[in-house]
Amino acid sequence: MNQTVTVNISGIVFHIEVDAYDTLKNYLNKIKGYFNNSEEREEIMMDIEARIAELFTNMMGEKNQVITSVNVESVIETMGKPEDYITEEDEESQNQTEETKFRKDKKFFRDPDQRILGGVASGIGAYLGIDVIWTRLFFVLAFLIWGFGPLAYIILWIIIPEAKTASDKLKMKGEAVNVDNIGKTFEAEAKKVNEKLKSVNTSKIGQFLETFFNGLGQVLKAIFKVLGNVIGFAFIAIGVFLAIGFIAGLSGSDMILAITSEGIFSIESSDFFNLIFVSEDQFHLAVFGIILLIGIPIIAIIYGGVKMLFKIKTHYSVALSLTIFWIVGAAICTLVGIKMGAELSSDEKVVESVGIPNNYNSYNLVTNNDDIPGEGILDGQFSSISLDDEYIYQNDVRVNIYKSKLDSGYIKIIKYAHGESKKAAKFKAKSIEYNYHIDDSTINLNHYITTIKSHKIRGQHIRVQLYLPVGKSIYLSPSSYEVIYDIDNVTDTWDKEMIGKKWVMLDKGLTCVDCTDIEGTTSDKLKIRFPELYNTENEEPTIKK
Amino acid sequence: MKIENTKAQMRKGVLEYCILSILNNGEAYPSEIIDQLKKAKLIVVEGTLYPLLTRLKNAEILSYRWEESTSGPPRKYYQLTSNGTDFLKELATTWDELVKAVELTGKQG
Repeated sequence: MNQTVTVNISGIVFHIEVDAYDTLKNYLNKIKGYFNNSEEREEIMMDIEARIAELFTNMMGEKNQVITSVNVESVIETMGKPEDYITEEDEESQNQTEETKFRKDKKFFRDPDQRILGGVASGIGAYLGIDVIWTRLFFVLAFLIWGFGPLAYIILWIIIPEAKTASDKLKMKGEAVNVDNIGKTFEAEAKKVNEKLKSVNTSKIGQFLETFFNGLGQVLKAIFKVLGNVIGFAFIAIGVFLAIGFIAGLSGSDMILAITSEGIFSIESSDFFNLIFVSEDQFHLAVFGIILLIGIPIIAIIYGGVKMLFKIKTHYSVALSLTIFWIVGAAICTLVGIKMGAELSSDEKVVESVGIPNNYNSYNLVTNNDDIPGEGILDGQFSSISLDDEYIYQNDVRVNIYKSKLDSGYIKIIKYAHGESKKAAKFKAKSIEYNYHIDDSTINLNHYITTIKSHKIRGQHIRVQLYLPVGKSIYLSPSSYEVIYDIDNVTDTWDKEMIGKKWVMLDKGLTCVDCTDIEGTTSDKLKIRFPELYNTENEEPTIKK
Repeated sequence: MKIENTKAQMRKGVLEYCILSILNNGEAYPSEIIDQLKKAKLIVVEGTLYPLLTRLKNAEILSYRWEESTSGPPRKYYQLTSNGTDFLKELATTWDELVKAVELTGKQG
């Protein structure tokens, strides 16, 4: 047994169980609570109650039953849960709080609709909620004052994604993404098109900035276009120039001019290179490697220039094969380089010593300056190389003069050579032929060395060291100009000015005897110390036996 | 976002349009409108309808007349006003745009 309540729904009387009544009452109150506008609320509630009354009437039929909870629940099912009563207008007022929260979830996009260059400034504007004019102004000022604008802009352009879909655009502005707002977005876009046609922006500053940025954008686009062409043309020009030089360099029998730190020298390439490389095959391989190594970048430059200038699109396989060939060239050069390195890995020297007659106080240094035999293949300022069938002749001879710690003087001839092993290097050094004579007080040195052709050029050179005891002197004849090299002396006199003069070895070093134009040395001082050097009659130093 | 919420949002968006379309064919009272919507497989509960109808009436898009009913209280029969007809036309245009937009965005993906 249950308690019954009599209730009037929309003017119609119903008997309803008390539980059912409570449920129904809660339901209706809840619905009421969802409506904020009182006018509407009244009317809507009336309609709802009328419908509920209708439903109940249908359920009761003829027998004048009492409405039970089951009936009420059935009605609630039909009418819908209270939440379903909310329409979009209610939602909007409810979503006030949600929206402000959503705005904090704004995503940073570039705005493609409001762009002049890349939409970076407009994207920033949308994110911060400020007008795009100000962000643009910021970039211009930043560039003028600090100069960092363009680079930062380009970096941002690359990093920030573009707002492509409608939901992106909404997210960019921080609006809730739902069907309503997407519709709004389309409306807004339609409006925008209209506005653009009407050129709405009336503020003077706004107008000016807009045209300015439009113009700037055009100018920049034009600059990039021209720049592309200029670079393309420059590449072609450089590439062609390099190619000509390279090809000229490769054509073996011609003389090429190469400038090194020692001056200008010219070479007969294949003969010379054959003396360097172990075999002709290695030589040819090296040439091939160099052509690839240097030639391909040149080709690449020309190719890139043509592409840029004529806007030709080519398949990536071209670049790929060029790269592969270049790598091959690099590999060949590396291998040859390693092999050659091995050839030169060891260096050895051989020393020959011979005494000079002690019964003289003064000596003469002369050099035989006859033509070097053989055919010249390398002719430089300081050294030259010539060869014949069996021998190589190099005129790299240097003489230096030192103080001898002994009572007598001597000559040391040091022969240097490189080789693939110590043994080989020593052998090559030993095989260096060098001629010299000592006739009484005259020391006659050759101005070139002879090496065996099959030993190739392996850095063979000699150094001649002349040791003079203190008190002995030497006259450097003019013929010796080629072989003397940076001889230490007290007055730091240059080689070429040392020749034709007599020099005496003193404690402090080699000192000029008859240099009247050199500071710090007078004949008087020397006369006092070494009277035997001087002939009292003409005051000229003579050779005394 | 629950899928159910999204679906409900989508349905709510088109509900107004569908109701106006139904009324374009002739006047009807709320239960009838519900039945027609059910026939068209657009499932709504009556609770959604009443507030919406009232608002549309207040916005002068719809008008109604009372009719006495044998089975219960009098019923409101709704019909489109001239404003309502225009409103319906605009909604139809927007609907076409939306359909196209959905199609195009679907193709891009």
